[in-house]
Amino acid sequence: MKTCVLNVVLMLTAMLVHPVKGADRVSFNHDVRPILSDKCFFCHGPDSERREADLRLDDRAAAIEAGAINVNKPDASELIRRVLSTDEDEQMPPPSAKLGHLSPQEIETLKAWIEQGAVYENHWAFVPLKPLPETDQSVTSLIDEAVERGLEKRGLTRQPEADRHTLIRRLSFDLTGLPPTPEDIETFVSDKSPEAYEHLVDRLLTSTAYGEKMAVDWLDIARYADSYGFQVDREREMWPWRDWVIRAFNENKPFDQFLTEQLAGDLLPDATQDQILATAFNRLHQQESEGGSVEEEYRVEYVCDRVQTFATAFLGLTFECSRCHDHKYDPITQKEYYQLFAMFQNIDEAGLYSFFTNSPPTPALELTDAATRERLDALQQKVEAIEKSGKELKAARAAVFDEWVKTQSESLSEEKTTLPGELARFPLDEVTGGKLANTVQADQLATLAGGNQIVPGRTGNAVQFSGDDALNLPLGNFGRHEPFSVSLWLQTPDVKDRAVVFHRSRAWTDAASRGYELLIEEGRLKWSLIHFWPGNAISIRAVDPVPVGEWLQVTVTYDGSSRADGLTLYVNGQPARVDVIKDNLTKEITGGGGDNITLGERFRDRGFKEGLIDDFRVFGRELTALEATAIHDEVSAESLLSVDENSEATEDRNQQFEWYLSTIDEEWAKHLKTLQESRAEWYQAADGVKGIMVMRELPEPKPAYVLFRGEYTQRREEVFAGTPAALSPFPEDAPRNRLGLAQWLIDPQHPLTARVTVNRIWQSLFGRGIVQTAEDFGSQGARPSYPEVLDTLSAGFISSGWDVKQLLKTIVMSQTYRQRSIADKKVMEDDPGNEWLARGPRFRLSAEMIRDNALASAGLLVQRTGGPPVNPYELSESFKPAAASGGDGVYRRSLYTRWRRTGPPPAMIAFDAPRRAVCTAKRERTDSPLQALVLLNGEQYVEAARVLGEHVYLEADGDVPGMIEAGFLRCLSRRPDASEVEILSALYREQLEYFRQHSEGAEQLLKIGRAPRDAAIPVAEAAAATVLAQALLNHDASVVKR
Amino acid sequence: MNNHPMMNNTAMNRRTLLGRSAQGLGAVALASLLDPQVSDAAGTPGVLTSLPLPQKAKRVIWLTMAGGPSQLETFDPKPKLAEMNGQPMPESFTKGQQLAQLQGRPLTCFGPQHSFEKYGESQIEICSLFPHLGSVIDDVCLIRSMTTEAINHDPAHMFMNTGSQIAGRPSMGAWVTYGLGNEAENLPGFVVLTSLGRGGQNQPIAARQWSSGFLPSRFQGVQLRSKGDPVLYLGTPAGISRDQQGLDVDAIGQLNRMQEGLTHDPEIATRIAQYEMAFQMQASIPELMDIQGESAETLELYGCQPGDGSFAANCLLARRLAERGVRFMQLYHKDWDHHGGVKEGVALKAQEIDRACMALITDLKQRGMLDDTLVVWAGEFGRTPMSQGSGRDHHNKAMSVWLAGGGVRGGMVYGASDELGYAAVEDVCTVHDLHATMLHQLGIQHEAFSIKFQGLDAKLTGVEGASVLSKILM
Repeated sequence: MKTCVLNVVLMLTAMLVHPVKGADRVSFNHDVRPILSDKCFFCHGPDSERREADLRLDDRAAAIEAGAINVNKPDASELIRRVLSTDEDEQMPPPSAKLGHLSPQEIETLKAWIEQGAVYENHWAFVPLKPLPETDQSVTSLIDEAVERGLEKRGLTRQPEADRHTLIRRLSFDLTGLPPTPEDIETFVSDKSPEAYEHLVDRLLTSTAYGEKMAVDWLDIARYADSYGFQVDREREMWPWRDWVIRAFNENKPFDQFLTEQLAGDLLPDATQDQILATAFNRLHQQESEGGSVEEEYRVEYVCDRVQTFATAFLGLTFECSRCHDHKYDPITQKEYYQLFAMFQNIDEAGLYSFFTNSPPTPALELTDAATRERLDALQQKVEAIEKSGKELKAARAAVFDEWVKTQSESLSEEKTTLPGELARFPLDEVTGGKLANTVQADQLATLAGGNQIVPGRTGNAVQFSGDDALNLPLGNFGRHEPFSVSLWLQTPDVKDRAVVFHRSRAWTDAASRGYELLIEEGRLKWSLIHFWPGNAISIRAVDPVPVGEWLQVTVTYDGSSRADGLTLYVNGQPARVDVIKDNLTKEITGGGGDNITLGERFRDRGFKEGLIDDFRVFGRELTALEATAIHDEVSAESLLSVDENSEATEDRNQQFEWYLSTIDEEWAKHLKTLQESRAEWYQAADGVKGIMVMRELPEPKPAYVLFRGEYTQRREEVFAGTPAALSPFPEDAPRNRLGLAQWLIDPQHPLTARVTVNRIWQSLFGRGIVQTAEDFGSQGARPSYPEVLDTLSAGFISSGWDVKQLLKTIVMSQTYRQRSIADKKVMEDDPGNEWLARGPRFRLSAEMIRDNALASAGLLVQRTGGPPVNPYELSESFKPAAASGGDGVYRRSLYTRWRRTGPPPAMIAFDAPRRAVCTAKRERTDSPLQALVLLNGEQYVEAARVLGEHVYLEADGDVPGMIEAGFLRCLSRRPDASEVEILSALYREQLEYFRQHSEGAEQLLKIGRAPRDAAIPVAEAAAATVLAQALLNHDASVVKR
Repeated sequence: MNNHPMMNNTAMNRRTLLGRSAQGLGAVALASLLDPQVSDAAGTPGVLTSLPLPQKAKRVIWLTMAGGPSQLETFDPKPKLAEMNGQPMPESFTKGQQLAQLQGRPLTCFGPQHSFEKYGESQIEICSLFPHLGSVIDDVCLIRSMTTEAINHDPAHMFMNTGSQIAGRPSMGAWVTYGLGNEAENLPGFVVLTSLGRGGQNQPIAARQWSSGFLPSRFQGVQLRSKGDPVLYLGTPAGISRDQQGLDVDAIGQLNRMQEGLTHDPEIATRIAQYEMAFQMQASIPELMDIQGESAETLELYGCQPGDGSFAANCLLARRLAERGVRFMQLYHKDWDHHGGVKEGVALKAQEIDRACMALITDLKQRGMLDDTLVVWAGEFGRTPMSQGSGRDHHNKAMSVWLAGGGVRGGMVYGASDELGYAAVEDVCTVHDLHATMLHQLGIQHEAFSIKFQGLDAKLTGVEGASVLSKILM
């Protein structure tokens, strides 16, 4: 019966308004700030853009100076006059703001506050922590006392300690995410020693399941998923980072290190592979590869996501509000947002991932085990040794060259007419049936497409490109171990901001430019070999621009070294002055499709529109400078080749020697062959190593700007790395990068890091944080229900050396935690969220725990730590259906479930697992009828019930009360009472009778899931036991922690 | 004080379920479920036990056209724009405005791609692609001056659903069932249906769009899937009959009730209700989804095949849900995002929805339900009068929406956009105004319908204020 008919507003506000009585001291943070924040700050707060009448009320001096506050004189304060005014032009908040009037009570509060001196306080969360009191008392007893005082004030008392069955179940879920086994329960319940509870805590904290449990919450924070998200949502391998998280928790890595390694592991001195791996935390955001997306737009999105995740995870602030404007409520400016942005953008990344290749976007860490590392090192050393011996050989062959020269005629020009190693030559003079001739390999023709035209060229004809159509050559799939060269004549009609001259690749951003390419970029030639642009490539760019309307002879060469100094660009026969743009190529340049050289066009790139190309030649070796000169101009090459006995040390002589080595000297040829073979072996091994996205700081910071309205195209004032001024100061000696940022966070003076972390741990145990808004510690967030508890635990956390296990132990040892979770009806109804802690924690288990509990109760759970994700049965019902994993994959713990962002596991989503699109500091906890259907009918749960039924049947040897007792212990961690036995006995009997008459149905039921059935149990009995087990797995106590 | 008013409802106590009668729960429940007339229509009351305003509409069917339909190829005729086709958009219209993908590009007028015709006694001019809707236009109130704040899909849906662009607020269906409760015994009070269009621009719609936000979770929308099992794991496992499962659910209920007695835990009542609703849904959902029993005339009216997952089939389902007392039905039809090919795109959409919309209005009317059912048709934003190739960009300054039934005047046009359809200029409406008006028809005063959240009095109609569009009301 509905007894209280309530006005919603009154009902809900009554709980939150704290009237000020007579002479009570008014607290700014408690009483005044909420009023000002709700009614005034929007126009008279920190946001300078929105500020009206140049008045701010969040700053005492400013408010006094403006006359809004006249200290001790409320009646002479403009603020009070305005809120009391009934004149529409004067009253505050103005009617146009539609914020309503201040209540008489609120006005009284403001008056009392001004009368008492208008004392402002810093927002509670920004006040530095006080050190722990000097006392012998444990932190545990300090928090118990604080809670007791709070309860007393409200006329409440703590509940007695819960019974042992309840405690072990509560502790097991809280510390390991799994139910206790019947044996664990027996041991604990029968252990009468006073240390039994503490021993249990210690034991659970050392189990490997602990790390898995703790990882789940962190995966929500880190928006961990096994796919990129957005529309294309391809799968990606980030699970080694998840394993890192599990390891870190199990090793009890101090939280300051845990945080530092994830934010800035790459910047630590002599960073280990594991420390770099930790920084994958910053790359777990969604990524886009949809065709036509703007690269810079998404890059900015990624950096913003990092900032938001950082701010939610460690500061508990809604920093994202400041992306577009100064924060309306908290002291964070838009500029400060972009100061953090500056720290998180400084990596060599692309805004789009590759559609045509599977490589992880750069920067990536190649993940190696010790054996692989050793093998790679050995192969690398071998290559380096051969390179070194090459230098010695070269020195030795100089003498041979001298001798050889003497045997030659006066000029070397006889040798110049042929260039060895030429694979193809396309004069591009004539097109026949869409084909163009190759003078080296007559049957290997080039193919001309679409609107490209044959026009008069430098010699004979040339091809003029439409910019949208390709000229395809039938060769060019070079590996990075192979030296090769390309030579051509080109003419550009205008200054090209970007144009593809030729390339071997499938696409631009859609393939991360995998392959090699000659571009004109900002009017300059750029020659590159690329695994994944921009972070894994070698690239050089000419200093001088390409002249417009002139024929230019261009030769590009590569020596097989995977180094930028192995690239050479010759223009008109002379080495061009170049800048090194990229020098980090560690993976293959082949693959992704587009395995041949293409001229003038590329998929979703800008072609060489109206540009001309003539006489295109490809060589399977690195041409020497002398040859490059010869290609451009035979006459000047000839003069180079003339032998002058008197100029042994000249440049000409060196060029001759290089040419001699490359084309004539047999010893050198052997050396090159060995070098190429050893490189091939090394590269092949390196190419096979899997990479994972991580952070790797660029040597020079990228310029950062305030982005007007947060839009990537709207750059304004330049900004530099920094942290919000309202929080603790940036450590003086810390570097202005992510490492410095981590040092700033873990400084004991920092007001937020420990509080936010402690609060989330508390939330994981109690179902709600001491600050209910775990994601918002700002002035619009909730205030802590027990500030002392939060601060004492936080100070204790820091002084313990950020010891997470100790923090957990401190909390779970408390009487506050150990109370019964059920209080009398009044307490349950007055404080349904358990804000005041007048009882122990009680809430529905998480999606992972519910599934793991079913598997564990049935004895199906496979407790193997780590590894790639698996598909439980439910993925066949997902939005993007996937078949269940083979083997024991369907029985792994739920945190190993494959998390595809557009097709997340539907049964887990029904239990409020987040989709992991963005950082989530607090899960929803809903109860919908759809959950009951999952538990009753989902394949995973029916199978678990079937196997559980078999177990209890065998354990009790078919004795029904015995089966019920065994089932209760497994699922509910306690024994049933008589009426429970009676209800379930009746159920079992009815089911048994039914299945005896419907053996076909029983057979069908027993085929669900892939676990083999125990044929020793009669069919009807096994089926009835399944239904019995289902009742247990659906029991409230199976899905609720108490 | 009771913070969970719904906890104490009579319905839950009344159904101290059935005990273990000779026939068990299954048979009894089944009997009542198979015939909706038999079932007790008490449902679940809401927090607003006395309404401040007369309740004109008892329920809402919201047709959400996801992707952002072009007003210029649907309901807002612009001959002047046709005249100016291909000419630069006068700068006076667009200067300093935020655009989505057209930002910084040359802006060219793009004339309406289809002709308009006048329909009905009211002679309202709408696109000739919608003749069926035209045939019932005298029951429709067309608003041509709607605006919104958001310009990208997800925040724009969020704004349309919750009155805030930022996720975390309750969707309107949750607000309404929270306030008014649910009349359906066997079905959730807020049901969501989705259908895909054939054009391919089917952006996913996230479940947060029908979230209960900070309201208790039982007010969240329950989405029925359009293909396969309408509800995940709705069917009993192979070998277990519905009766068998009924016995199991009954035993679970009994055990939980004992637990409740032991613990006084209000959450257990929620859990018991959850299992009861789940069990009811196992019967009510297949019965609901089975439109075989609809007459040939009705199927012909809607133009759908049973179970084809189409928008038309969902409209028919919405009528069936409405009949069963469901409070709020929201139908998403996707694929309206015509950045390119707006001409062909809207034509395809018109084929998918025109007849179904007419059928829904006609069907409700012939059953006497249009008077107390409010039908709303709206996208999340409109589209630019400027071209983006062969399409139009997102636009928030002008869009068209329509309402029918629930005490709203038919055969009228409210508001207008400027001569090029760029911005609403006459009787400009906000999304908050639309929400306020809908609440008003449901008997709820929007300013007083609030809940404290994160230190603010959170209202569906936001803090900037909203006005009931009284001119469109009967």
